Amino acid sequence: MKIFRIASATCALAVLLLAGAGTVARADAAPSASAAELKDAASKAPTTSTLAAGDPGGAITGTVSDVPVSDAKVGLTLGDVANQVGQNKIGINFTWTLLCGFLVMFMQAGFAMVESGLCRVKNANHTYMMNFFVYGCGLFAYWILGFAIQMGGAAGSGNLGGLQPLASEHTLSLFGKTWGVFGQTGMFLSGHSYDVGVMVIFLFQMVFMDTALTIVTGACAERWKFLTFSVSSVLMGAITYPLFANWAWGGGWLAQLGSNMGLGKGYADFAGSGVVHAVGGVTALACALIVGPRIGKFNRDGSANAILGHDISAVLIGCFILAFGWFGFNPGSTLGASGAGCLRIGSVAVNTMLAGCTGTFGALLYMWVMKGKPDASMSANGLLAGLVAITAPSGFVNPISSGIIGLIAGVLVCVSVAFVENTLKIDDPVGAISVHGACGLFGVISVGLFADGKSNYGGAWNGVTGSVTGLFYGDASQLVAQLVGVSTLVGFVFGFSYALNWVLDIFLGQRVSAESEVAGLDLPEMGQLGYPEFVFTPEPAFMTATPQAAVA
Amino acid sequence: MAATKSQGRSFSLFIVGITAAAIGVASFSSGIGKLALIGGLVMLAASFGLFLKIKPEEGEVADKGQPAVMRVAGVLAAFLGWVIVLFGLNLSTTVSGRMVTTIIGIAVSLVGALALLPAAANKNPIWKA
Repeated sequence: MKIFRIASATCALAVLLLAGAGTVARADAAPSASAAELKDAASKAPTTSTLAAGDPGGAITGTVSDVPVSDAKVGLTLGDVANQVGQNKIGINFTWTLLCGFLVMFMQAGFAMVESGLCRVKNANHTYMMNFFVYGCGLFAYWILGFAIQMGGAAGSGNLGGLQPLASEHTLSLFGKTWGVFGQTGMFLSGHSYDVGVMVIFLFQMVFMDTALTIVTGACAERWKFLTFSVSSVLMGAITYPLFANWAWGGGWLAQLGSNMGLGKGYADFAGSGVVHAVGGVTALACALIVGPRIGKFNRDGSANAILGHDISAVLIGCFILAFGWFGFNPGSTLGASGAGCLRIGSVAVNTMLAGCTGTFGALLYMWVMKGKPDASMSANGLLAGLVAITAPSGFVNPISSGIIGLIAGVLVCVSVAFVENTLKIDDPVGAISVHGACGLFGVISVGLFADGKSNYGGAWNGVTGSVTGLFYGDASQLVAQLVGVSTLVGFVFGFSYALNWVLDIFLGQRVSAESEVAGLDLPEMGQLGYPEFVFTPEPAFMTATPQAAVA
Repeated sequence: MAATKSQGRSFSLFIVGITAAAIGVASFSSGIGKLALIGGLVMLAASFGLFLKIKPEEGEVADKGQPAVMRVAGVLAAFLGWVIVLFGLNLSTTVSGRMVTTIIGIAVSLVGALALLPAAANKNPIWKA
C-alpha cells in the first residue's frame, strides 16, 4: 500500500511538472493520498530541538521542513513542492550562469596580462590601462543602450525563467518574411526589465561584450590615443557588438535563417567564436588599418622587425587565466545546469579543454618544425586560438572533433600572423586579428562542418526542431547558415567598424604623436611609468627614429 | 601633446551627452524624454566639436594619411559582398546555389578588407618615408 501511495504521489508531481504550469494548482481540495503522504513526511521531519544538537553528518539538514508552505492552515501541498522544484531549477541555473559570468569577467585580467606582456615596457601602463578602462566603457555603454539592442527581444529562455520582460524586437519584412533587427527594451535595466532573470542575463552577456572590446586594444597597442580608444570602445559596446549579437543570439535575422529560409537550425554560435571573437577580431583589423603600424615595425623594403614584448611570464600566466575563464565562457553558454539539455555542460567543458590543448600543440609544433624553436608567444596564441575556435562549436561537437578543430586553429594562427604581418603589412603587436578574427571565423565555419547532431537543448535550436548538424554529418544547409554569418562579420561588422573609426579618426585622431610614441605612452598618455624603477636599455636605431624623421 | 585636461573635458561631455540621449530614447513618449534626447544630441555634437578643436594639440603623428578613394572603395566592397549574400539567398532555393552566392559574396568582402584597404594603408606608410 505504501509503495502505491508513493507511486501515486510521484505520478501526480510528474504530471504537474510536465504540464509546465508556472502557477501550480493549489492542493486545497479534498486531501488525497499524496497529500497524506506529504503530511506524513512533514510529521517525520527533524524537530528544532533535534537540529539544535547539530548535524555533523548532514543527514537531517535539508528536508521536507525546508520547503516553504504557502498556507499554514492547509500545510504542505503538492503545489508547494512543485513550486519549490521549479524554483530550484531556476536557482541552479541562475547560480550557474552568474558563476560562469564571474569567471568570464576575470578573463579581463588575463587579457591585460597577455597584451601588456607582449608590449614594450615603456607602454606597459598604457596597455594595462586600456584593458582596465575598456571594462568600464563597455559596461556603461551596454547598460544605457547596448543590452537593449542585443537582448531587448530575446524573451523565451526557459532556463532563466522566461525573460518575458525582454519581448520587444524591432522587425523588418523582407522577401515575404519577418526578420528581427534590434531589441527595444532593457535600457538602463529600468521599468519591466527590473527583473531577477533579466539581471542574470545582463551580467552574463555584458562580460561577453567586454571580451570583444578588449580584443581591439591589443591590435592597436603602443600607438592608440587613449581618448580615441575610450570613445571607440563606448560606441562599440553601445552599437557594433550588440547589433551583431542581437542577430545571432537575441532572436535576430541570423538566428531566423533556419525558420525563415530552411538553412539548418539558423546561424549557430554556441558561445561566441563569431559574436564575441570575430566581432572583436574584425574590428581590430579595421582599427589597425586606420591607426597604422608602429614606428620601426617595418623597414623601407617592407620587411618586418620583431618588436619583443617585455614580460613573457605575464603572457603565459595571462593565457592560463584566460583558459580558466573560458570554462565560464563555453559551459556557461548553456545558461543553466538543469533542464533543456543543460547536462551537456560536462561535454562542453571537456571540448574546451581539448581544443586549447591541441591548439597549443598545433602552434608549438608548427613553430618548432618551421622556425626551429617552440616559440613561447606563438604557443600562447595557439592555446588561445584553439579556445577561440571551439567557442562556437563547443556545444555541438564531440571530443574528437574538438581536438581536430583546436589543432587546425593552432596552425592557422601561425600562418595568419605571418600573412597579416608580411603580406598585408599590418602591425598587430599581440596577434589579436589572427587569434580572434581568423580563428573566430574558422570556429563559426567549423559548426557547419563538425556539428554531430547529438546535442539536444530542449529539442530545438533557434526555434527549429532537432539538433544542429554539420556537413560531415549530413546537413550542408547548416554550413550555408554559418557562411552567411561569416559574410556578415567580414562584410557588415568590418565595414561598419571601419567607417565608424574612420569618422573618429577625422574628429579625434586615432594615433598619438610620433614624439609620444617614441618616448613610450606611459608618461605622455598616462602620466606615470608602468615600472618606474626599471632601467630602460637603449632600443635599436630603427625604433628610436626622431619624430621629425618618422613624419618626414 | 598626449592626454590633456581638454581631452578629459570633451570626453566627459561625450559621456554625459550619450547618457542623456539614451535617457531620451528610453523615455521618448514623455515630454522630458524628448527634451533629454535633444539635449543629449546637442551635447554629443558639442563634444565632437571639442574633439575636432583640440585635435591639432596632439602634434605631428607618424602617419601620412591614406588615399580616401581607395578607402571608400574598400569599405563599399566589404558592404557589397554582404549585400550579394543577402540577395543571393533569395536568388536560389537550393543549398548548393545559396552556397555559391554566399562564397562569392564573402570573396567580394574579402577583396575590400584584405586587398583594397591594406593597399590604401600601404600607399604612403611611415616605413616608406
